[in-house]
Amino acid sequence: MASTLLVDRHVSYIQSLGDNKDDLVYHMTAHLRLNAIYWGLTALCIMNRKDALDRDEIVDFVMSCWDEEAGAFGSHPDHDAHLHSTLSAVQILIIHDALDKVDVPRVVDFILSLQQPSGVFAGDKFGETDTRFLYCGVAALSLLGYLDKLDVDRTVSYIRRCKNFDGGYGNVIGAESHAAQAFVCVGALAILDRLDEVDYQALGWWLAERQLANGGLNGRPEKKEDVCYSFWVLSALSILNKLSWIDSEKLTEFILSAQDPDTGGIADRPNNMVDVFHTIFGVAGLSLLGYPGLEDLDPVYCMPKSITEKMGLKKGWVALERRKSM
Amino acid sequence: MHGVSRVKQSQAALEAKRQRERAKLKEYLALSDEILSRKKRGDLGMESLALTTKMLQINPEFYTVWNYRRNIYLGVIFPNSTPEQINETLERDLVMTTIALKAHPKVYCIWTHRRWCLAQTPEGPGREGDDIHGWRMKNWKQELFVVEKMLGVDARNFHAWNYRRYILENMPVKKPDIDELVYTTKKIQANFSNFSAWHQRSKTYPLLWESNVLDSEKSREEEFDLVRNAMYTDPEDQSVWVYHRWLVGSGEDIELLKREIRAIKELLEEEAGSKWCMESLVHYQTLLVQRHYAVLGDGEYGRLRANSLELLQQLETQDPLRKQRYRDIASSFPSNQ
Repeated sequence: MASTLLVDRHVSYIQSLGDNKDDLVYHMTAHLRLNAIYWGLTALCIMNRKDALDRDEIVDFVMSCWDEEAGAFGSHPDHDAHLHSTLSAVQILIIHDALDKVDVPRVVDFILSLQQPSGVFAGDKFGETDTRFLYCGVAALSLLGYLDKLDVDRTVSYIRRCKNFDGGYGNVIGAESHAAQAFVCVGALAILDRLDEVDYQALGWWLAERQLANGGLNGRPEKKEDVCYSFWVLSALSILNKLSWIDSEKLTEFILSAQDPDTGGIADRPNNMVDVFHTIFGVAGLSLLGYPGLEDLDPVYCMPKSITEKMGLKKGWVALERRKSM
Repeated sequence: MHGVSRVKQSQAALEAKRQRERAKLKEYLALSDEILSRKKRGDLGMESLALTTKMLQINPEFYTVWNYRRNIYLGVIFPNSTPEQINETLERDLVMTTIALKAHPKVYCIWTHRRWCLAQTPEGPGREGDDIHGWRMKNWKQELFVVEKMLGVDARNFHAWNYRRYILENMPVKKPDIDELVYTTKKIQANFSNFSAWHQRSKTYPLLWESNVLDSEKSREEEFDLVRNAMYTDPEDQSVWVYHRWLVGSGEDIELLKREIRAIKELLEEEAGSKWCMESLVHYQTLLVQRHYAVLGDGEYGRLRANSLELLQQLETQDPLRKQRYRDIASSFPSNQ
């Protein structure tokens, strides 16, 4: 079992993701392609290996996902525009300094058109609504510099109605608290400078109780651990400045134990199949935990801090100090 | 991938698998290309609809194809159908997605499509009275049945719980809220650690209290009995402790707070070192001090403070993962100034 982050392995794993074109699973996940590129690219940035994927190839692919009818991005050429893939497109283009290729006002109109009277956002025109899409809308508008177009009070009031007695948030009104929703709701509130909405003590307690004896984090009470919660939970904890409320060493060990030492990549838990989703959220978690040698990750946008800082978007979150060595 | 074990395969085995998949892959790509090019040229015909059925049975996460299917219905099929035909079409889609749900219980697109089908169900078969909701009620009741089956397989599936709340809230003729108490009692009795069911009760009781269906004091006491029973069954199951916080609430009722503190202390005597007993005691004692300092006086305050700090010390050893949280709470324990 690996006790250090196998950066070279993970880089070649991410590079190899596009080589699976004779694999059925590769094509059956085309509806997540743009998200997957964002996950892979961000992981590379955090591991200081941004150039491991060809910039022009990526930017061209993103632009080929443009849905002219809707004025936003689908996840794959000829797929319908969707808010989630649009956020990924914006994040990738910003990382590669290529936002000038996009008709930004049209994208802004698309995003705003998906906000519902309640304040929540739909993912696309057929209207699956929840706080994940609310976050996508808020984050994308902020990254595009159009937050002033958003009805902030209406947006915040929806988040407020998703808050539960345990301090956590559900994905819709009435839903049980879930760690992924802690990230999207607290992240959106951080972007909107409305963290006064958050019950720091209750949510901090609920988040800290996500850690299990094996060091991993779960998403809800009495559920199993999973590497992706390393980001959802840590993101919210770092925004609340309460990262010290869990055991960072044990979590670090857990994330490292979920690596595949042969192929590279990180899985949901040890000895499972790896994927790029768990790879980014494992690496992102390690960055927030101060793992040596990694770049700083901005937990609000899940992007390199150097970028959000340059854009003037960095909020007051606190990660653990970067260690010099393990 | 969630929950898929890693199996190391030799190059030869991988190659053999690829060979086997090659025909499938070719068929899949041809189907995908065919659908996307039909969609591009705006073909809303029956043949295209049949292709979306085929694709969605293979890949229910292909959101663009779901959208295309709904556009075919809305653009061509529904405008040329009687309400009865529309209802039949939607019922068929509900059956189709029931099969898909069994294989993919956590795919958002499938649940979304069911919601869409319900929202599209026309009024009828009658034109007035109860009969105007006939089709809708049949579909909505069927959905409640399906969602109970789904929660029977996985009692924590949050998609299913969300869908259940959606159904209950939007049924053309509502079920009484009290039924939800019966349902969640059954779920909790089957498994005390089902926090999803406890959570549902935290949403159901306020409705019953506001509408005076239940006497709030009496039913709250009964709920405390149920919770205590669960605590004694497994004192280290956090679901019930989290729910207990909701039941106690903001701590305005001093007698209630004191009584619960006494009850937890009794349990702690039987279960020495119980993390959740100690953690909860610290929480409720802090609440007591914060809310009722004026009534308590310095003597009682001093005892509560000393006891809480002692418990926090023990928690640091008992639950070292969260030791910094216990230290922070100790250093910020409300002062008597």
